[in-house]
Amino acid sequence: MLQTTGYIFQMREGRDVMEERAYAYWLSAMPGLGCNRIAQLMQRCGSAREVYMGSEKIWQGIVTEKHRLCIEEAKKGWDVKRAYENMQRQGISMTILGEKEYPVRLSHIPDPPFAVFYKGVLPQEQGVSVAVIGARACSDYGRFVAKQLGETLGAAGIQVISGLARGIDGISQGAALGAGGKSFGILGSGVDVCYPEQNRKLYENILGQGGIISEFVPGTQPRSQNFPMRNRIVSGLCDVLVVVEAREKSGTLITVDMALEQGKEVYVVPGRITDRLSDGCNRLLRQGASVLLSPLELLRDIREMRGEIQESSSEELPAVPEGCSEQEKYLYRLLDYTPRSLEEIRCQLVKSNKKCDSSTLHMTLMEMCIKGHVRQNSPGYFSLPI
Amino acid sequence: MYSEITSGAVLGVSAYIVRVEVDVATGLPCFNMVGLLSNETRESRERVTVALKNAGLDIPPGHITVNLSPADVKKEGTAFDLPIAIGMLEALGYFEERMTKNTLFLGELGLSGEIKPVRGVLPIVRAAKDKGIKRFVLPRENVAEGAVIPDITIIGVGDVRELLDFLQNPEHSYVEPVITDGVCFAEQNREDGTDFVQVKGQETAKRAAEIAAAGFHNLLMLGPPGAGKSMIAKRIPGILPPLTVEESLEVTSIYSVAGLLKGEAQLVTDRPFQAPHHSISQAALLGGGSRIRPGMISLAHRGVLFLDELPEFQRYILDGLRQPLEEHYIVIARAAGNVSYPADFMLVCALNPCPCGYFPDRNRCRCTEQEIHRYLGKISGPILDRIDLCVELQPVELPKLQSKNKGERSADIRKRVESARQLQKERFKNTGYRFNGEMDSSDTEKYCRLGPEEEAYMEHIYHSLQLSARAYHRVLKVARTIADLDGKEEISKEHLLEAVCYRPPATYFR
Repeated sequence: MLQTTGYIFQMREGRDVMEERAYAYWLSAMPGLGCNRIAQLMQRCGSAREVYMGSEKIWQGIVTEKHRLCIEEAKKGWDVKRAYENMQRQGISMTILGEKEYPVRLSHIPDPPFAVFYKGVLPQEQGVSVAVIGARACSDYGRFVAKQLGETLGAAGIQVISGLARGIDGISQGAALGAGGKSFGILGSGVDVCYPEQNRKLYENILGQGGIISEFVPGTQPRSQNFPMRNRIVSGLCDVLVVVEAREKSGTLITVDMALEQGKEVYVVPGRITDRLSDGCNRLLRQGASVLLSPLELLRDIREMRGEIQESSSEELPAVPEGCSEQEKYLYRLLDYTPRSLEEIRCQLVKSNKKCDSSTLHMTLMEMCIKGHVRQNSPGYFSLPI
Repeated sequence: MYSEITSGAVLGVSAYIVRVEVDVATGLPCFNMVGLLSNETRESRERVTVALKNAGLDIPPGHITVNLSPADVKKEGTAFDLPIAIGMLEALGYFEERMTKNTLFLGELGLSGEIKPVRGVLPIVRAAKDKGIKRFVLPRENVAEGAVIPDITIIGVGDVRELLDFLQNPEHSYVEPVITDGVCFAEQNREDGTDFVQVKGQETAKRAAEIAAAGFHNLLMLGPPGAGKSMIAKRIPGILPPLTVEESLEVTSIYSVAGLLKGEAQLVTDRPFQAPHHSISQAALLGGGSRIRPGMISLAHRGVLFLDELPEFQRYILDGLRQPLEEHYIVIARAAGNVSYPADFMLVCALNPCPCGYFPDRNRCRCTEQEIHRYLGKISGPILDRIDLCVELQPVELPKLQSKNKGERSADIRKRVESARQLQKERFKNTGYRFNGEMDSSDTEKYCRLGPEEEAYMEHIYHSLQLSARAYHRVLKVARTIADLDGKEEISKEHLLEAVCYRPPATYFR
C-alpha cells in the first residue's frame, strides 16, 4: 500500500497555490500516467511544478523511455496556465490529494486518485453516503427496488452515490433526486461528458442537488478501461454499498470486490434463484454479504451503525385497495412487481382451485388497470404499479 | 385480302377487346406491325411466320400489315400471336370468314406451331362475354380457366394445324368445342388441412383472431418465437366466410393476370393468404415492375396479408400500405399510364417483443432497454394507427401441448363470424361500409352509440388509461364487433372492457 499522505503540498499562499494546481492539472492530463505513477513522481519531486520543470532523470524507473517521449510530445502542445483557466471557466472544480477539500473517504482507499474533478459539490464528509449499483439491463423487479431504495435514502437525507449508468444506477439516483435528496454521479469520462446520453436530464438535475465527479480530466471520452477505475471511486466515496441486481460475471461484482478491499459495508438485494440477474447477488449473500431486507431496514441499520436512536416504523406490503371485489382482492395479492403473463396468473388461479377462463381474467385485470390498481407492462403482462 | 380477328388484352385486372386487323397485299415482301406495341408483342412477327412455315402452311411473299386496334393503347404480352396467325390465314383464304365471326382468339405460338398458354384469360373472357362474344379459341392449358364463365363455347387447341383443321372443317375435326355450364362452386374446404383445432392454448390470441375476422379489423400479434403467431395467422382465412362467386371471380382474375393459375386450377375458392418475407421490395408488395404486375397486397385481396417479423420490414415499404389500407385498392402510376388493382385485405402482423424475442423473460433476454426501444420503434406509426387489435402471446408450456383437449374447430368459429357479419351487413345496408373495421371516426359515434352508463364508463377508461382520440375510436369499433359476435345491438360495459383488453398500447411502441 502506498503512503497516501506521503506528500502534502507545502501549501503556500496566493499565486503559488494557483500555479501548483495548474501544474497538477497538467500532470493528471498526461497520457498513461495512473495515480500510482503520479504518486511516485510527486514523492520524487515534491510538487507538480518540479515534475514539469524537472529533467529527464526524474522519470527514470517510473515510466519507460517510449512513454516519456510520448509525454514530452503531449507537453509541447500544453499551455499550463490556459488549460487550467479553461477548466475553471467551464465551472469545473478540482481538488488534489492532500488538499483540505479532497474527500477524506477517498484518501483512505489503497490507490486514491491524484486529482478529483467535479461539477456541483462534493459529498459531505459528515453525511452518510450509500452507493446503489447494479445491472444496466435490469428487470422490472430491479427497477422497482432501485427506485424504492433511491426514494427512501433520498428522503432520509442520505447521499446516494452511483455511476449514472443506465438501469439500476440511474434509476436509484433519479429517485433520490425526486425525493429531494442528494446524489453524486461518478463518471468514467470527463465531468463535462455526459455518458450515457439518455441520462442527460439526470445529469443536469444532479448538478443542482449534488455533483458529478470524475478523476479523469475534462474532455476524456468514456473508454471501457476507465470504468473499473471509476468503480473504485464509487465504492471509495460510500460508507455502505448496495447491490440491487448483478449477473454472475459483471462489472458490479468488480465494484463489490473493491468495496470489500476498501473495508466498506456491502448489502445485497436477494433475488429468486431462477433469475439469472440475481445470480451474482445470491452468490455474494452466500459469501457473507448482508441481506437487504427492505430500504427502511437498511436505514435502521445505518442509524444503528451511527449510534442514532431507532425509530419504530414497520414495513408493509401495499394494502389491498378499497372497493375491490373478492376476485380482484385475490388477484391483487397474487401480483407483485414482477410482470406476469396472463397464462401464468391463470395457472396460479387454477392451482388454488379458482375457476377462471382467460377472457374473464383478462377483463378483470383490465378493469383493475382502469382503476389504477394494476399496471399493464405490455399487452399480455401485468404487475402492481410501481 | 383483308381480315379482322377479335382478341383481348388486360388492363389492371379488367380487360378490353382488341381487333386484330390483317391485310395481305401484293407488293414488295414485308411485314409491318402497328398499334403501339411493346417489344414482346412486336416479336410475334417472327414467331408467327416461322410457326406457320413449320406447320406446313405456305405464306406467299407479299406486303403484310397488321394493326392492333385501339391503336393508341399500349399492347403487351404474347397472346396476340394466335389471332395474328389466324388473321393471315383468313386473309389468304384458308377458310371461310364466318368461322371467325363472334369468336375471340388468344394464344402464344411456338416456332413449331404449338399454341402455348397465356396470362389473363379469365378477365378477358369475362369482359368479352359482357360484350356479347360467345365463342372462344384458347390454348388447351387455359381452357379450365376460361370455363369458369358459364354459357360460352370454348375451343381448346394445342397447335396451329389442329386449329386450321377445325376452322376448315369443323364437323370432321376431332377438336371438340366445350359448352360451359357455369361454375360448380364447392363448399370451402382448405386443402392444407389447417384448422384452429390444432392450436392448443393461446385462448386470448384465438379470441382476438375471431374478433378481427368478424369485423375485418387489422390484427397485431406480439410474442416470443414458437408461441404460435404464424400458426394462428395461417388459420385466419379459414374462419372468414367462404368467398362468394363474385369475390372468387375477382380473386381469380388477379391470379390470372399475375400468371399464377396453373394447369387444372379453375376458380380460386379459398380465401388468399399471403405471407411475404421481410426482404420484399416495394414493387413486389404493392405491385409494379417494368411490366406492371399485381403485388402481394392484391394477391391477398379478400384474404389475409400476414407480415411476420414486422420490424424487419423496410419502413418505407410498409408506409406504402397506408393508402391501400384506407382505400382497398392501389393505383400504380407510371409515366406510361395508371393501373389500378384491388387490394382489400386484412392485415395481420406478428413481431417479437425484443430483438432476441424473449423479453420480458430476463433469464433468456439480454437485450438492453435501448435495443428494445429501437426495435419496437422501427414500426411505422401510421401503420400502427391502422391496427385495431393487439394481443400478446405467451410461450406455451409442454403440458398444454401434450393435453388431449382440442381447440375449437374453425368451422364453429366461422359460424359465429358469419352471423356477426350478417348483423354488419344489415347495419351498413345503404352506406359505403361493409364491416366495423372500415368505419371512420365520425361514423363510429353514429354506429357505436353508447348508453349513458356505458358512456360514463368509457370516459373513465379514456382518462384512466390515457387513450388518444384515435385509440378511443378504435376501442369503440372493436366493442361494436364484440357486441355483434354476442348478437347484441347495445354495446355493454363488458364489450367495452374486452375491447380495451385488445387495444394496442401506444406507449409500448414509443
